[in-house]
Amino acid sequence: MRPFIFSKSSALSQALSKKNNTTQFIAGGTNLVDLMKKNIAQPESLVDITTVLPDKITTNTKSIQIGAMVRNTAITNNATVKAKYPLLAKAILAGASPQIRNMASTGGNLLQRTRCPYFYDITTPCNKRKPGTGCSAMQGQNRMNAIVGYSDQCVAVHPSDMCVALAALDATVTLTTKNNKQENIAFTNFHRLPENLPERDNNLPANALIHSISINENPFNKNYAYVKLRDRDSYAFALVSVAAALQLSGNTIVQARLASGGVAHKPWRWTEAEQYLKGKAATATTFSEAATMITKGLKPLSHNGFKVPLLHGAVETALQNCLVASQ
Amino acid sequence: MKQEHSRRFFLKTSSVLAAFAMIPRTAKAFYEEVKNFFVPNKEVLPLTVSINKKKYSIKADTRTTLLDLLREDLHLTGTKKGCDHGQCGACTVHVNGERVLSCLTLAAMVSGKEVTTIEGLANEDKLHPMQQAFIECDGFQCGYCTPGQIMSAVACVNEGHTGSVAEIKEFMSGNLCRCGAYNGIVQSIQKVAP
Amino acid sequence: MGFFDEPYDFVAPPDDGRVEGIYKVTGKGKYSAEYKVDNICYAVMVGSTVAAGSIKSFNLSNAKQVAGVLDIITHQHKPVVPGLADEAKIASARFGLPVFHTDKIYFKGQPIALVIAETLEDATYAASLVEAQYDTESFAVDFDKAQAAVALTATGKERGTMDAWSNAPFKVEAEYNIKAEVHHPMEMHATIAEWTATDKLKLYDKNQGVNNVQRTFARLFAIPEKNIEVISEYVGGGFGSGLRIWPHALAAIMAAKQVNRPVKLMLTRPQMFYSVGYRPASWQKVQLGANAEGKLLGILHQSKNGTSKYENFNEGITRVTRLIYNFENLKTEAAVVALNLSTPTWMRGPGDCTGDFAVESAIDEISYQLKMDPVALRLKNIATEKNPETGLPWSTNFLNECIAKGAAMINWQDRKPLPMQDINGDWSTGYGMAVGMWNAGRGNASAAIEMKKDGSITVQTAMTDIGTGTGTSMQNIAHDVTGISKTKIKIELGNSNLPAAPSQGGSNGLSSISGAVVAVSNLLKQKLAEYAATENEVYKNAKPTDILLSDTGISFQTANNQFVSYTSIWDKSKLTVLEVEASSGPGAERQQYSFCSSAAHFCKLKVNRKTGKVKIEKMVAVADGGKIVSEKAAANQMSGAAVGGIGMALLEEMTTDERLGGLVGDDLAGYHFAVNADAPIIDVAFIGKPDPNINPTGSKGLGEVGIIGVAAAISNAIYNATGKRLRDLPITPDKVLGW
Repeated sequence: MRPFIFSKSSALSQALSKKNNTTQFIAGGTNLVDLMKKNIAQPESLVDITTVLPDKITTNTKSIQIGAMVRNTAITNNATVKAKYPLLAKAILAGASPQIRNMASTGGNLLQRTRCPYFYDITTPCNKRKPGTGCSAMQGQNRMNAIVGYSDQCVAVHPSDMCVALAALDATVTLTTKNNKQENIAFTNFHRLPENLPERDNNLPANALIHSISINENPFNKNYAYVKLRDRDSYAFALVSVAAALQLSGNTIVQARLASGGVAHKPWRWTEAEQYLKGKAATATTFSEAATMITKGLKPLSHNGFKVPLLHGAVETALQNCLVASQ
Repeated sequence: MKQEHSRRFFLKTSSVLAAFAMIPRTAKAFYEEVKNFFVPNKEVLPLTVSINKKKYSIKADTRTTLLDLLREDLHLTGTKKGCDHGQCGACTVHVNGERVLSCLTLAAMVSGKEVTTIEGLANEDKLHPMQQAFIECDGFQCGYCTPGQIMSAVACVNEGHTGSVAEIKEFMSGNLCRCGAYNGIVQSIQKVAP
Repeated sequence: MGFFDEPYDFVAPPDDGRVEGIYKVTGKGKYSAEYKVDNICYAVMVGSTVAAGSIKSFNLSNAKQVAGVLDIITHQHKPVVPGLADEAKIASARFGLPVFHTDKIYFKGQPIALVIAETLEDATYAASLVEAQYDTESFAVDFDKAQAAVALTATGKERGTMDAWSNAPFKVEAEYNIKAEVHHPMEMHATIAEWTATDKLKLYDKNQGVNNVQRTFARLFAIPEKNIEVISEYVGGGFGSGLRIWPHALAAIMAAKQVNRPVKLMLTRPQMFYSVGYRPASWQKVQLGANAEGKLLGILHQSKNGTSKYENFNEGITRVTRLIYNFENLKTEAAVVALNLSTPTWMRGPGDCTGDFAVESAIDEISYQLKMDPVALRLKNIATEKNPETGLPWSTNFLNECIAKGAAMINWQDRKPLPMQDINGDWSTGYGMAVGMWNAGRGNASAAIEMKKDGSITVQTAMTDIGTGTGTSMQNIAHDVTGISKTKIKIELGNSNLPAAPSQGGSNGLSSISGAVVAVSNLLKQKLAEYAATENEVYKNAKPTDILLSDTGISFQTANNQFVSYTSIWDKSKLTVLEVEASSGPGAERQQYSFCSSAAHFCKLKVNRKTGKVKIEKMVAVADGGKIVSEKAAANQMSGAAVGGIGMALLEEMTTDERLGGLVGDDLAGYHFAVNADAPIIDVAFIGKPDPNINPTGSKGLGEVGIIGVAAAISNAIYNATGKRLRDLPITPDKVLGW
């Protein structure tokens, strides 16, 4: 690890004033410390922001706000989350390990970097790590990589489970900018596709910090599911994951939400399938149709063709599981 | 290995370093071609940490993780290094009563916090019930992951995740055991769980 | 904190746990990197960034600028290692990779430099700044691509002819591919090296055999073996990775010489992928024939395994094929495939794990053709009387009993004879089984006992305890033979200054050391009888078997016990510590009998049609390990091995990149072995009948047979659930999909 200056920030504005391209902020550290050990992140200066970010979950009649410093575990234990936004808790519990969830912050979860093995191996070309060097995964071991939304520059996927639920629930990211103003950005616009700038994971402005996440009240707290398919039963990143939620009237789908992890550079919403499900009967046939719609246009890479049928099965299973209330 | 380093021209002192950020982009580009560069000095930080209820006032390299602080600087070697990258759980300790990974925790970040390691779990000469259970249920073989398993198991019980074998297994899956002593680990937790 | 006062001595545990249990649960047991050594500094290895070629030059100037760097060793700048001084010596040293003694690059990650610095942080950072330029050459790292061009040669003697069963009415012919697996003991290999004099070396080292380490470095540094002390009291797992002496240990010793200070070197987890061996990737082809009655008529088993470019490592994949069943016609062939990877080594159930997967899969496959229960098919064909390879009668072989017991434990009668007959929603349930066997060996081993006046004894051996419970078994055996309470029996092991013992591997550990402990326990009884005879003449010609020791004195087993206290013996003979040492090893019984351990594994699992998920619901392991000396530790080893087998079957894969020439995902997030949630509670049982000929205790090793049949049992169960025969490991969800 490269030597760095460590300081603890006492106020949000002070932290923001330090933000530049040789300084990095640290909260949970579960990804950043690892990236520093791997010589991928080499900040000259590290600023501890754990005490300047909001670490509370607040609720009002219409929404919930989760401070950027709220640890992942705290979200899963929160009574309001469990009652009104259980999909979020379920997705978080599918990720990492209890120890990591105790450490990881909400803001950091959004900012975690891809787990593409080539990104982690500094002896190999990687456009995300070192722009212009090429993408090793494109022709290499890309079993874990993207099947949608990738570019010829980068086929990495976003590793978060929590973010898949936040995408499905149409969350909003609130930012604090350098002049202490707050700005909102729709969660689905927070992360970006690699295009020609694979080194950029998201649209967080250079002069801003994540302040909090908010989710509006929604009817998706009864019929929901998070299905994560992975090589082992726990403590592994997703091959594919599906967050599904249905609002039902009898057996009729009033509205649906579907999002996936492990498929793209960002948490991926399946809006076309959501539209399709609207007004349909909640049956296995409907679910299978939705899954087919989702998997129709996908373009897998050399080693991850299996993700297409796997995703099909995951979508069907997730939608089916939605019918088993509060499982 | 060189690629990331030779791109930047590091200066020796921190005060100049701050100024360096102000150097215009074009000037920076020049330095990117420099092969040999001055490497930065290590930064040392005074820390006060409480470990197993004992206060330590120490100076640590900013890069030092809590794990290396425990093992190399304080010789509290009960906390184990199994991967050093947050992928095995062998380094699990409690910080302010919660289980965390000491390999992904910078020592600088625990200043002012209460750290409990396996060495602090027993009450004088009386083992913690979880330690006793691990002995009785043979919840280990080689013993290397054991301190991490036990710290995690104690937390697992405190968190109330002991409702079924499946729940215990899920909430203990952040602690790898290559000997595969999972039978005994689950039994130990069942023994201690309310 | 009374029990911490003697940091190295195992004391009697509470409630029948392991002798060293209290040290493991309190974190007080010292693993190799954990000893406090004054003036210690740290070494970190730098790996080659290319897969093949030679080193052209180094740029060390950046690394040397890091404050705290003491020196950097390369092949151009190093202390003298006499045993590697020139090409001829390197060739005769049989050390494997001549680390820092060549400019040749054989694999990516090969150590090319060693940074020694004051702190771990300094050394790690400086290591990241070492640069090298290479002349690169073409390379091959993809076993599957490279193996096709390598020709097979016969291995072992052909039995009968292949023509004899060419018209067999039932035949299976299939190929099997298994990806390379990595041992990954939880403790990363580490060495602290300290030259206590110019020709005296002290090593705290992770390994599975201290005497082997001692011998190797005595040879390389041309110093007497007794000048090297190797301390390995706690070993955080091995599974075979500690059976060889690897470059990093030599690197630590060279570094200590170079800077004249004690040096600590711990491998990183990525380095663990290419520094201490792995189970090589393999290809196999099996042709198997049977008649309508289910008699197996013949087998052709061909195998290839990967090796490095600088050493040949032959796995012995077809060995198990020659062992278990009565094949009158049998032919085995093998080949190794050289790749630009580090050298593989023995990993738990070496060879047999791999070979058994293919053969046990093929037998399962033919059972469906025959419409015969795979249990019945095996019972009909297992060679229960004599070793089909040597013709010698088995001393004991209870594999049939293992099968019968396991079938009962898993309710085998609930298995549907045809696939896909037990479907519930998206899930289909299946049952599978397989057997495994291992040649039960025994080596020469020594043990000593030190006895004090208070009746406490310390039993000592150089053998390590890598987690198998060696120390506990030694205590149990010493207690059984002498009669002294376990609370008064201490164990010391894992130190080369103690009586010599073989490495702990190949399921030989307990079989070897148990003989020595019995011998030294009897010797103690005899010695005490001799002393007692000076007080009481009846002891004059007493045999060890006549005598019983208690915590306070010696007596006869018979009623009129003629008690003589230790106090009076010690006082009368002016003893301080009574020391005895004895050795024991195999003898003529090896010419009369064959010896085996065996096991049967049964698995019940369900497979999801939509997600490819395999969920193991129940796993039963029944083993014949002769007499079980420590029930809990033995059961733990069996269940742990089954967990290892689950990894082999479903998870583990060392991935290579043929374009870049190295490994991909070399960490524990990329390389999956089983977490707690992957394994059910494993049900273990033993036959428990002593082998009367193998050693004085009648116990045989379990380390290998615990894993050998597991992968086949799982894949056979997947077939039973889905009708999909999966012959490539690991069986990840992508392979399961589509049934």
